[in-house]
Amino acid sequence: MDIDENGGAGDVSSRQVQVRFVTKLKPPYKVPQASISIPANLTRFGLSALVNNLLQAANEDWNAEPFDFLIDGELVRMSLEEFLLAKGISAEKVLEIEYFKAVAPRKEEEPSLHDDWVSAVDGSNDGYILTGCYDGFGRIWRAAGICTHELDGHSGPVTSVCNVMPKAAESSIDQIVATASKDRTLRLWKFGVEESLDQPKKIRAFKILRGHTAAVQSIAAEPSGDMVCSGSWDCSVNLWNINASDSDGGLVSVKKRRKGGEDEEPQSEGEALTTLVGHTQCVSSVVWPQRGTIYSASWDHSVRRWDVETGKDSLNIFCGKAINCLDIGGESSALIAAGGSDPVIRIWDPRKPGTLSPIFQFSSHNSWISSCKWHRKSWFHLVSASYDGKVMLWDLRTAWPLAVIDTHKDKVLSADWWKHDSVISGGADSKLRISSGISVQ
Amino acid sequence: MGTNPRKENDSDKPKNETGKKKVQKLKAKNMEETLKRIEEAEAAADSSKIHRSFRVPTIVMMKYGSLSEDGGSVSESGSDQSKLSEDEDVVQSSDGDNPTGACDEDNDHSSGDGVIEADDGDNYHGEDSHGESDDSREVVEESDSSEDEVAPRNTVGNVPLEWYKDEEHIGYDLAGKKIKKKERQSKLDSFLASVDDSKNWRKIYDEYNDEEVELTKDETKLIGRLLKGKAPHADFDPYAPYVDWFKWDGAKHPISNAPEPKKTFHSFKVLRYVRAIRKGLIKFDDKPKEESRLYALWDDSSSAERQGLAYIPAPKPKLPGVLAIRSQFINIDPESLKPKLPSRKDLKPYPTTCYLEYKGHKGPVMTISTEPTGQWIASGSKDGTVRIWEVETGRCLRIWDLGENIDQVAWNPLPELPMLAVAAGHDVFILNTRCGSDEQQKKIEELLHVEPQMATEDSGQYDWGQDDRHGGIRLKHFKTVTKVEWHRKGDYLSTLMPSDILFRAMNALIGSVCSIRESRSVLIHQLSKRLTQRIPFKTKGIPVSTAFHPTRSIFFTATKKDVRVYDLLKQKLIKKLEAGVREISSIAIHPGGDNAIVGSRDGKLCWFDMDLSSRPYRVLRCHPKDITGVAYHRSYPLFASCSDDCTTYVFHGMVYSDLNQNPLIVPLEILRGHSRVMDCKFHPRQPWLFTAGADSLIKLYCH
Repeated sequence: MDIDENGGAGDVSSRQVQVRFVTKLKPPYKVPQASISIPANLTRFGLSALVNNLLQAANEDWNAEPFDFLIDGELVRMSLEEFLLAKGISAEKVLEIEYFKAVAPRKEEEPSLHDDWVSAVDGSNDGYILTGCYDGFGRIWRAAGICTHELDGHSGPVTSVCNVMPKAAESSIDQIVATASKDRTLRLWKFGVEESLDQPKKIRAFKILRGHTAAVQSIAAEPSGDMVCSGSWDCSVNLWNINASDSDGGLVSVKKRRKGGEDEEPQSEGEALTTLVGHTQCVSSVVWPQRGTIYSASWDHSVRRWDVETGKDSLNIFCGKAINCLDIGGESSALIAAGGSDPVIRIWDPRKPGTLSPIFQFSSHNSWISSCKWHRKSWFHLVSASYDGKVMLWDLRTAWPLAVIDTHKDKVLSADWWKHDSVISGGADSKLRISSGISVQ
Repeated sequence: MGTNPRKENDSDKPKNETGKKKVQKLKAKNMEETLKRIEEAEAAADSSKIHRSFRVPTIVMMKYGSLSEDGGSVSESGSDQSKLSEDEDVVQSSDGDNPTGACDEDNDHSSGDGVIEADDGDNYHGEDSHGESDDSREVVEESDSSEDEVAPRNTVGNVPLEWYKDEEHIGYDLAGKKIKKKERQSKLDSFLASVDDSKNWRKIYDEYNDEEVELTKDETKLIGRLLKGKAPHADFDPYAPYVDWFKWDGAKHPISNAPEPKKTFHSFKVLRYVRAIRKGLIKFDDKPKEESRLYALWDDSSSAERQGLAYIPAPKPKLPGVLAIRSQFINIDPESLKPKLPSRKDLKPYPTTCYLEYKGHKGPVMTISTEPTGQWIASGSKDGTVRIWEVETGRCLRIWDLGENIDQVAWNPLPELPMLAVAAGHDVFILNTRCGSDEQQKKIEELLHVEPQMATEDSGQYDWGQDDRHGGIRLKHFKTVTKVEWHRKGDYLSTLMPSDILFRAMNALIGSVCSIRESRSVLIHQLSKRLTQRIPFKTKGIPVSTAFHPTRSIFFTATKKDVRVYDLLKQKLIKKLEAGVREISSIAIHPGGDNAIVGSRDGKLCWFDMDLSSRPYRVLRCHPKDITGVAYHRSYPLFASCSDDCTTYVFHGMVYSDLNQNPLIVPLEILRGHSRVMDCKFHPRQPWLFTAGADSLIKLYCH
């Protein structure tokens, strides 16, 4: 084998390490279990080439694939020798290296053009991408460049979008999405996925939620899809009932509106069920990961956890910086990731007793963090977007970003995962960009 | 003088022995010499009695014979002295058991050398009276004096006599012969003899010469007198009448015998020396004479002078200089003299890094203003546009092209009335930003709607007109407006037209009456009633900036020299703050209302504590160029100054509610990045700073 020969050649200059490659990947990616001796100065790239060579030996028409390597729960980001030294691992034993496909975008889709800045993206439904734009429209994209619906109605820039029932994606004909806007309203929209049209279909909101007295910054839906919550510049978090199924049940006012002779659409308005008061400044981000718990982040430098039943905050993490974005995920969906008015992504573990200091801090960005999202399946992977125009992929097991997507020409305002293997991002260059082919285990 | 007699004595000794004649001849010669000297000595001795009494004994003895002609007291005294000297000698040589009491009997020389005895005999007085001199007498005299030296016979010198204890002789005479010891009498015989002999108490054994000496009666008397501390000679009168030798006639003043006081001597001498020095009579030759450093190394003559190594002087110790003195007197660590300022880390948060830029203006951004909730900012530029920006994203939301140089923009301080006052050229615009909710929009529209007839009714000079193009009110002024400031209640706004003063000055030159326009440079408009009024007090100097008190109805007017504080209700001047700077450019009032900062065109930043004094509490010289703007943070203890020198300084300025505690001012950060900074404003809620630059950018510095 080439590699072995190479290894033999390098033997003179460098030390050898006995390694065995293991993987959780499916058979075509499996290499023989036998331990082999490799030079200790190999880096991730060298290891990847080695594994590719091994695989090619077994399979003639093998296409090279970048791999990432894990030793003792830490990604290899330097030469093996340094890594072992730094971690104090003995080089005498047979080293077990786990490998998996590198988490990096393999394909950059065509950008989906918007009329204005793309302020919000949501990829929680595998079937479509939801975006919010500064021109006041929400948009549904089935794929890159294919816009199926335009959500028309907001009079101000859309600031945040969310899928209300992402779980019921496959079955239902009607999808419900919610958007928040700087026009102080939230709107709920209903549309059918399977309709395929050449022209994007304009739809109107079936429900308008009024109650905020200032621009709404963020919206999140309850996992079951019965309620949404929103954070706003009026320093409050409002809870809203959706009642999508029962038509106009407890609605305050019902309007019938006829527009240009088109189909008439019932448009209802709703009021906030509850207001969670406590923040002293703009609530920039809300997350509703579980039925009874809402997390909110604010420019008053705090992250709070609210108990929906009582309306009290049960946790208050003080960060010291104005926070722009928040997400809950990671290990057993308990870690809090937040980014704000500095280039640092902070990750807290609220289960950790006694301390409220972040357990991880990622600081490779150069400007404000505008968005951060956990991968929905993986406990380790994060995507972040920043005003420096970069989208970065993170793994908790290393302090360096896994990949940097810098295709945006201006500030990136929002980013999310889509279909578990793509990253979608929208920015001030008015484009939705999709980076696909990211293989997260 | 003392030597001469000795010589004589030495020569005189061999009286009994051989060579007497030779000696006598020598003696005669010596005598003549000595006579002269004695005469001199006498003159000297006369000058003081003390001298006389001590010296004379040895001197006068020799005169004895020769000076006998002089007669009188001198010779007498001389004989006395000679007696004395004899006695002394005897006393010295004897063992001191000599008689102390007075002796009655005359002396009879029983033993010893004849000459002495003869001399010591009774013929003293005879000699005196006769005054004759012959050889024998001379000899006698000589022997007299020679007896002073006690060693006429033995020549062993001053050696311990024990050395001769076991010998038969006691020494040698002049001729070198041994002097035999005398046969000793047995003790018993001698005792008996002494008992028998009544004169025995006068006898003294001379151990040195091994002989017995018998003292004469006179001698014993003399010794007795000496022992009593009297003058040795009986005839000497210590209380003789004083003979005044000085001639008093002719002397007008008594001559003081007192020594000259030291003081007069000193000053006199010093004066003389000073004069001499001044006249140049005394010259100080401080410089050591230069010797040629080169010399012939092998020259014999010089080698005698210079022996050994050349003298190398030790280096002079350094004179104490300023540093030495300082280290001596001020032994303080200069660090400890610095005021104890808290560390910058403890004063976080404060703006440090620029993360966001607001791009869009085409010309230098002259002014910015923050919306009270901190969601938007407004900016005005030289390109004639006013823009509203979203703080969090840097998006430009709205643009008004007013076509004139924008000098000032100001958000209405009420969050529910998002209006913007803009000073553009001669006009003040009040614009509806359309940032508020629908109800707020309605209210604003009502506020900003001006009936046309109302405009005409109003005073002709201040034209409240509707401006439909920009959606607001246009307030026409007749001069360029440089400042617009809202009152905290959002209804009043003040405008400043500094050129009005010039206009007035011009009018004054022309001669027209212009008293009406006195204070028109500062106007106060009421938005709800569309009213315009002048401030009800006179201003002096050219006002450059105005400000409302944040809580009370107090109005600040900054002229180029000072800041005047007016009470709007009582309509009078409360205070005048003297900045002491060249030209004030900007002013900001602390949200508490008791402190103010004033920026000047010479780069000085003055902090006024208005409760404390009308002089600056602190003057911070931080900028090398003009300060263009100063700002306080609304809630954080921060203030900032921006300048033409491309920098913005951020300070910690803590004002304590305790009146005893002075404000704490700590410089925190220098923010760079602009070409020239035209304005700076703090975010109302975050510790962030917006700066407007001449590079048509607005930057946001975050903590």
